[in-house]
Formats: sequence, C-alpha cells, structure tokens
Amino acid sequence: MIVVRQKPLDEICAMIAGHRRVLLVGCNTCAAVSLAGGETEVDTLLQLLRLTNKRHGTFCELTPAVLQRQCEPEYIDCLQEGDYDAVLSLGCGAGVALLASTVGKPVYPALDTLFIGSAKGLARWQAECSACGQCVLGMTAGICPITRCAKGILNGPCGGVSDGTCELGDRPCAWVEIYERLDSLGCAENFDTILAPKDNTTRQICEWDMSEGCDEK
Amino acid sequence: MAITHTGRSIQDDNRDGRLFAPCRARCPVHVDVPGYLAAIAEGRFMDALEIILARNPLPSVCGRVCLRPCEDGCRRCLLDEPVAIAALKRAAADIGVYPAPRLARPIPGRIAIVGGGPAGLTAAHDLAALGLSVSIYEDKPRLGGMLRYGIPNYRLPDYALDRDIEYVLAHGIEAHTGVRIGRDVTIEELSAQYDAVLVTVGLQDSRALPIPGADKPRVLKALPFLEACANGESMDLGARVVVIGGGNVAMDVARAARRHHADQVRVVCLESRDTMPAAAHEIHDAEMEGITVHCSWGPREITGEDMVEGLRAVRCERVFDLERRFAPVFDEETVKEFAADTIIFAIGQGADIDELGLPVTPRNSIKVDPVDLKTSVAGVYAAGDIINGPTKIIDAIASGHRAAASIFRDLTGQGDTLESLDQESAVLGKVPDTMAAKVETRRRIQMEQLEHWDALHNFDEVELGYTEFEASREAQRCLSCTTGARLAVEKCASCLTCTRVCPHGAACINMGGYLYFEIEACHACGACVSQCPAQAINLETVSEEDLSRRVQRKLADRGMDTSLVFSCGHVPDTLLEAGPDFRAVQVSCLLRVSERSVFEALEEGASRIVFTRCTEGDCRFPHAQDLVNRRIHHIRKMLSEAQMSEAFLVTAAPDEDSETGVTTP
Repeated sequence: MIVVRQKPLDEICAMIAGHRRVLLVGCNTCAAVSLAGGETEVDTLLQLLRLTNKRHGTFCELTPAVLQRQCEPEYIDCLQEGDYDAVLSLGCGAGVALLASTVGKPVYPALDTLFIGSAKGLARWQAECSACGQCVLGMTAGICPITRCAKGILNGPCGGVSDGTCELGDRPCAWVEIYERLDSLGCAENFDTILAPKDNTTRQICEWDMSEGCDEK
Repeated sequence: MAITHTGRSIQDDNRDGRLFAPCRARCPVHVDVPGYLAAIAEGRFMDALEIILARNPLPSVCGRVCLRPCEDGCRRCLLDEPVAIAALKRAAADIGVYPAPRLARPIPGRIAIVGGGPAGLTAAHDLAALGLSVSIYEDKPRLGGMLRYGIPNYRLPDYALDRDIEYVLAHGIEAHTGVRIGRDVTIEELSAQYDAVLVTVGLQDSRALPIPGADKPRVLKALPFLEACANGESMDLGARVVVIGGGNVAMDVARAARRHHADQVRVVCLESRDTMPAAAHEIHDAEMEGITVHCSWGPREITGEDMVEGLRAVRCERVFDLERRFAPVFDEETVKEFAADTIIFAIGQGADIDELGLPVTPRNSIKVDPVDLKTSVAGVYAAGDIINGPTKIIDAIASGHRAAASIFRDLTGQGDTLESLDQESAVLGKVPDTMAAKVETRRRIQMEQLEHWDALHNFDEVELGYTEFEASREAQRCLSCTTGARLAVEKCASCLTCTRVCPHGAACINMGGYLYFEIEACHACGACVSQCPAQAINLETVSEEDLSRRVQRKLADRGMDTSLVFSCGHVPDTLLEAGPDFRAVQVSCLLRVSERSVFEALEEGASRIVFTRCTEGDCRFPHAQDLVNRRIHHIRKMLSEAQMSEAFLVTAAPDEDSETGVTTP
C-alpha cells in the first residue's frame, strides 16, 4: 500500500490560510491504513486546527469528510456540491490530484506520500517499491535495490558499504541483504548475473489504459 | 428461562443484546451488571444507579442483602475472586442520587397490590411507571415486608430500605398501611374497586416443630422475634440461646440474639456443614460474632420443668433420601443436651393463606398460572413467595416484574414495554486460557466493617460500605464481559492495527480477510478503539461523545485558569480537586482520552490538560502503557507544533494518602 504521513502543522496552516470554509477529506484506504488519513486523523487534525484558529483569533469553518478512496472518481462525486472554498486532502498524492481535477476548488495536501510499503508491526512501515515500471525483484530475492539502495543501483554493493551498513548510516545496505537472502535460498549464483541497465522509458508512463489496442484489427 | 451456554464467540450474538455476561444471566432480573460497573469504574455513580434501577427498583436493599447469584457467575472467579457486585450496587445507591421517576402518560386502570414487600413494591413501581394508578395495602405499620420486619437492622437498616421505598413511592403510588386482608378488607372487595388485584403477601407464618416442650414460655419463633427486634423492643433472652435451623434466617436470628445480650448463642441444625442452606458468608459472619454452629443434630425435646432448660437432640445421619426428598434418618443412641434459657425456631416460613380466600396448591401456596401469574379468580394475580415458596429477594423482585407485565398486558393489550429479558439468551463462555494468563490478578477490596465485638452492643449496620475511591477501584476489576469491542464492518479499513494492539488475540482475521472480534477474549480495555483510524470499533459502555459531555459539564463554570485532569480512575476526585481549580474527569484508562478529546477540552476553555497516570502496580491494563506513551508523545508533538506545549502536562498519580493531591511536575 501507499504509505503517507502528516505534514507539519505550520505548513498545513500556511496552505489554508485565507480560506474561510475548508473541507477536510480523509481516505479510508491507504491513508487510513497508514494511520494518517482515516476518520480519526481527520477529526484530530480538524480539532487541532480549530484550537490553533481560536488561539490566533482567526476564523475558518472546518468540515470533516471521509471517502472510501480518494483516487476513484465515483467515490468523489459526493463532494461536487458543497459549501466550502478549499479542500484539505488527507489522502496520498493520487487522491489530492484526482480531487484537484474534480472539485473545481483549491485542493491542498495535508500529507506527504512516502512510498509503497509493507507493515512492520504497529505504526511502522518498510519502503518496498518505487513503482519503476520494470520489476527486478525476481533476481534480487524480493528486496528492491531501486527503493532500498540509497543510490538505486542495479548491480551492487557499491564501495560505500561498511559492515553491512550503507554509507548514509541510516539503513542496512540493500545489496548485502540481497546477497544474504539469495544465499539462504540457495540462489547465490543470481549474484553473478550483471543486470542490464533498465529501460527508463517506463518511468515516463503517465497513463495506463488496459484496453489500449483493443480496437485494432 | 432458556439460557444456553455457548462456546461460540460470534459477535452477532450480541447485536440484539441477547448474549449476557454470566453475572447478568444469573441475576433473575438481568440487571446490566457490566454496564453499571463500567460507570462506577469511572466514578459515574448516578449513571450506575440509573442502569440498576432500569431492572431493579430496590438497589439499596439488594446491595446489602441480596444473596448475589451474580457473583457466583463472575468470570473472575476462575482468576482470583469475583467482583464485589452487590457491594458496588450498594455504592451506587449510597453515593448516587436517585433520579426523578420517569412516568409514562397516565392511562386508565387502577391496581391494588396487597403486600408491600419486594414483589409488591416492584410490581407497583413498574405499573405506576407505565401510567397506571397503583395502591399498596400493607398489614404492617410500614412498607417493606420481610425487608423491614424479617431482616435485622444491622444488615439492612431502615434508612437504607427507606431510600428505595421513597423512590418507588415517588412514582405516585398510594400506600395504605395497617390494613389487614380478611379483617379490614377482603380480596373480593378490592376486586370490585380495582381493575386488577395483585397479592404479594409473602410467607408470614413462622414454623416450629411439634416436639415436647415447644409450648413453654421462652420458646420463640423466628419471625415474631425478628419483628420485635425491628420494632426496637428490648427482650430478656437469658444468657444462653439455642437457635434451631440452618438457613440464613437462623443466622439472622442468632446474630440478633447476640445483640440482646445473650452471651452464648448456638445454632443447631439438621444438615451437615456442607449442606446447610445458609450462605457461607452469612455463617462466617455469625461465627465471627462468637456464635457456634452445631450441625447434624435433630431436636427431640425441649427440656425443663416450667421454664426452658435446654434442647435434647439426637444425631442426624442423613437429611434427604436418594431422590432428594426430605427424609431424615437419626441415630437415637447419640444424644446431646444443649443448655438454654431461650430457644428460637428458625426452620422456615409458611403461607398464612386462609384469610385470602383464594384457591391454594397442595403445598399451601396460592395457585396461579405459572406464565401469567393469574389466580383462578378473575382479575386477581399473585407473585413472590406466596406462589413460589421461600425464595431470594431478587426472585421476588423478578416475580413482581412478571406479574406487572402480565397485568399491563391484560389491561392494555400491550406487552412490549415490559418484555421479558430471559428468552433465548446465550451466556458468554469462560475466560480463554490465553487471556487468563495475561489478566492481572487483583484481590477484592474488603469493605470496612464494624469490629465484630463492637457490633454486638447494638443493631448498627455492620458493613460500612465502600468509599467512592474503593468502589471505583473494585469496579475496575470487572472484566467488562460482553461489553467489549464491536466492529462496524462497513467502516473498517482493514489496517489490522487492532490485531497488533490486542494482548489477548481478540481481534481476529477470518478466512475472507475480514476482521472480527472474539468476544470471549475481550475485556474492553479499549486499546483497539484508541488506535482505530476508521473509528470502526466501539465499546458498549464508553464513547468519546460521552466523554465530551462529561468534559463540557466539568468546564461549564470554569475560571480563567482551570486545569482539566484526566485520571485513569486511580485517583479520587477529592484529592485532585484539592488543588487550585483542578477539575478531574475520571476514566478507566487514559487510552479512553484521545488526542481529539484533549484538543476539544482546550478549545472548551481549559487552560491546561493534565494526564494523571496510574502507577505500574495499580495499572488495570499494563499492555496499554506503551500505547498511552505513544499517545502522550503524539499529543506533545502536535501541541508543540501549535506552540502550545505548556498546555499539556503528564504526572504520576499522587500517593493515596497524600494530602496535597496533584504533584506539579
């Protein structure tokens, strides 16, 4: 799923300053699962904004709403008509974008979209995928070098690794982990294969139509 | 009653309120025990009292003298000790304020109730609340029946009984005391004046044994003796008293005799120690007052010339035959003399039924239809011990409810208002082993009592009741059976956070990937509720909206610098409010106080929010500590971003004996 987290409060306040009626819209799919954009987080942020407004003597009418998924037009329909002049979206980038293209009013992101990831227990997530468009996980024992390697290199490790740790110091070296897992799976020979440079044109895809070509004879 | 035990844990069982906690299932009137214990755990005594009154109009009485079938069912029995449910009911009645009666619009229909004991009072309460006009006819000078004249004041003082009776009468009920059926008025006459007559006269005849010497002076019967005690009459019983009988009434009589300066009081009963009908705690209390219990003796003769000199008894080898029929077998060779100046029979009560003029059963009770409690005389109903034989007070209350429902149905054709709760209910199964291993064991909080030797000088109430603080702490021992997590499936985002925070594995994933809760493994700690991003989980007994209302009430008359303290139920309000304008809201765990609640309280005008944390040893939900830490961190971070860090403080609970209350961090 897509992992998100809330922006700092002053950034949010700066975006909506000047608007009198703001609709806060949560998303009950990835953003809720990230514990950042569900009904609870919408209510909490709304209450904090109210408190901040009261403290600063400013006025802004805040209304909460939660959509099942902000990235589906059908779910957004219910927002079309409404007494608000801006939207604060607690969804991922896709949600903000679709809302912005639909509602005809300024839409601001309350969250930063971090990565496609997996859960690592309570309120912790691991970045797993960068949506590069050319998956190599089959060669790397399920560990994505594009995402987990700081340099995103396809043939590692680089010279910066020390005791299995990336030279950035904040993460284990993805390529050491790839080697160790391949070895434990009995596939260490994969490591000998030099991966060819990726076709970066897949990164340029900005729309995917599954039915493309269906009408060709 | 068709209650079935279930090992199943399907949440739907609870949707229509038919899955009962064992305490509630075992209570003949199905009081919502987990509901009122949850209220007491948060210091909401009035809410607790209202919950009790919805099913039991005599909480002050039952809180003191009920035989507590609920406690036998408590799921905590297997862990340590049952929750002190009855004592907490008493706390609700003593500390809470009785609400104004809720009365339906008056409807035509006049009811006469004959007998002002528990069954009569209950039926009167129900029918008056439904809008009917109700009159009670009572033989004795005051209402209460056996509660007043059969239970000594040291267990049930008049003031405690009067609280309940005042509440019942406040429903607009007329009481005619000192009116005896048969002498002053007949059932027939009442039938002519009223639309229905309910007979709840109880068992007024005290039994004795037809043994030689039973007609001597100073051979007494239990009920007249207890009535004389209730009326404050002084009696000279002599130094040595023998009470014949092994039930709770015998214990009452023996303890009352001790208070009439009898130095040596002995209870002699037919049954063995194991099979005595008296409740174990009643026997224990009697023995603590120096009374000795002599089991397996059958009275043969009361000895003495003119006056009583003693009781001659023979060894009783068996009381019941193989088919559980009363058929005592004696060893006539083993004889024992019990020297005595007074002998009191406490071997049971019977119906004093002749004057009523109603058809009777072979067992000398009024004959009624077991379902609708109608006698064969049109418009005349009967309830309580007069139809059931000797039963518990709470059984009489249940019988009163049933009779009221039947009368209301017959008079109005409506039955829904007083529906019977005991149809096809399921009972929550036992605590799963995995959960039992993790629940903190905590002993029951003992109620303060008069010293046994001090108690013997008067009829003052022996049990002194819980303080608010003790009551809250005791109520927090409740496992909140059946009131735990409910999932609104349509709101669930399937984030699985609940499965990660539940210590007992109550949040489960089914084959289809959907969440559900094993209700047997949930003790309503609220960890999952507090972390659910979709607000898809609720607890039955607490909600954020309720907390909001409580906060608003607390802050209604706030000053310029009012601090609102959220304490997790371990700190008495009195301590907290010792500080300068500290208002306390007690919750059963700080997990119940969300970020939103904190911000809302600040917006309401509190200048500061204080979280008063329990100490580790006191913590009811140790697994929640980590979640509370996370929450505190989150609140601090958000308020810091809003430049309001100073508006939130966290402190540990002050020492129980501390005089100053809140410690300033």
